[in-house]
Amino acid sequence: MNTPAILATNHLSKYYNNVCRVNKVNMAVHEGEIYGFLGPNGAGKTTTLKMLLGLTKPTEGSVSIFGKECSKNRQFILSHIGSLIESPSYYGHLTGLENMRVMQKLREIPDKNIQEALHIVRLEKQKHKKVEQYSLGMKQRLGIAMALISFPRLLILDEPTNGLDPAGIGEIRELIKSLPKRYGMTILLSSHLLTEIEQIATSVGIISDGNLLFQGDMEILQARNKASICIKTQDDASAERVLLTYGYMPVHQHGHLHFENMSDLQVAQVNKILVEAGFNVIRIEEHKKSLEDIFLELTGKERSL
Amino acid sequence: MKKSISAEWLKLRHSRIGLILIVMPILSLLIGSANYYFNQGALQHGWYSLWVQISLFYGEFFLPLLIAICCAYVCRLEHLNRNWNVVMTAPVSVASLFLAKLAVVSVLIFIVQVFFIILYFVAGQLLGLSSTFPIEAFGWSLRGWIASISIAAMQLGLSIRIRSFAAPIGISLSAVFLGLGMYVTNMGMFFPYSLLTIGIGALSQESLTGVENSLFLIMNLIFISAFSSFAIYRLQKNDVIQT
Repeated sequence: MNTPAILATNHLSKYYNNVCRVNKVNMAVHEGEIYGFLGPNGAGKTTTLKMLLGLTKPTEGSVSIFGKECSKNRQFILSHIGSLIESPSYYGHLTGLENMRVMQKLREIPDKNIQEALHIVRLEKQKHKKVEQYSLGMKQRLGIAMALISFPRLLILDEPTNGLDPAGIGEIRELIKSLPKRYGMTILLSSHLLTEIEQIATSVGIISDGNLLFQGDMEILQARNKASICIKTQDDASAERVLLTYGYMPVHQHGHLHFENMSDLQVAQVNKILVEAGFNVIRIEEHKKSLEDIFLELTGKERSL
Repeated sequence: MKKSISAEWLKLRHSRIGLILIVMPILSLLIGSANYYFNQGALQHGWYSLWVQISLFYGEFFLPLLIAICCAYVCRLEHLNRNWNVVMTAPVSVASLFLAKLAVVSVLIFIVQVFFIILYFVAGQLLGLSSTFPIEAFGWSLRGWIASISIAAMQLGLSIRIRSFAAPIGISLSAVFLGLGMYVTNMGMFFPYSLLTIGIGALSQESLTGVENSLFLIMNLIFISAFSSFAIYRLQKNDVIQT
């Protein structure tokens, strides 16, 4: 990314009773990107996001946003950030519109922003209903509308699709994807769902046990996902011996011959060698690691995402 | 500050806090008036005797309770549904968040004090008090209100810290008794709850001297500043923990 980082942390750490929850995280979010903050439950995502917003005080390290140190420029920075942390916040005895008005008063923003934010999350028709009567999905939408109300430069969303039905998830996903282009926003969103991050994010940070294991463009992560070629013949052991004489070094595993870093031409050559040597080639497959495999490789453990 | 106060007012919409603000003074007035009515033989000082009866229940029980309830209520709004996350990420100073709550509670209590004076006047008329209405009552109410702000600053600090709605109210009731003890031992100027007893003239209607009045105001100023500063400091330094 060539654009400057609008959010950067420096050795950001948090300890609770000497137990490390976030360990020296150096995070960089660049202007205009959708940064997916991925990690299993309990990895330290929310704690990190809360430190970015000043809700939790770092034990060590610092946060700078828009090039300014957070601890010294709290109000300026917060005036350009919209956020939804943990689960949606709302005053249940007030209507959706009144909840938006509370935000409006605290942020001094025009009326049209309320209408636009409610329109975006499709809550216009329910805006006069008390929020305690809203469904979980509607509350989540209201939370997103409240985060959007000032159409901020930086939007921080913690698990934004929680509580939404599949249609709602798709809709919010498309909405989030459209925000950088429509409003010039930069988005930092956390999720424990790999597929969600894969579909929305342009950059990704992977956190596990408080450590940031990977950070970079989504494409870089996907580039780790090099394809291998699997060839199945009637007699893999003999085929392997033949191929060795031609300088190919397949790995014989799971009933296949595996080849790493093969060009298309090489695949064709191997096929030709085998056919000419009298082997019946049953199958040639391209095998790609899923992002989940890469995540498990990075975290070094098999755990639910 | 203005935007924080305006947001706080908006949060009180559709709430039932207004009902409590009306019921509490009426209750103390009814109990005090009944006491006066049935003991008219012993209570010879007209309006002053009536004030003693009603302000005793009001100033020593219902008003402190009312302040504690108001403070617990405005904080409960934030404790519920993780609303601290929203208010603490709003681009306003932490001090203004606290002071806005204090301002709103103070205005509510001011309205209650005005309402209480009206009730006192009506009760006096209904009980057939013929002498002139004591203008000192305005001073008692005003001083009571000033002392109420000190108590509110303390109670707000407690209610922000303690998630339970009832616990800070329980603490306030214990503080009332401690305040009475301080008042009796002539240490009343050094505790907000006994400042309320002094201010509202619940136990003595003798006018405060100029020095006492000044000390009363200075002590309230000190308590309001100290409790507010401490609560703001804690809000700034501590993590926002929402369960």
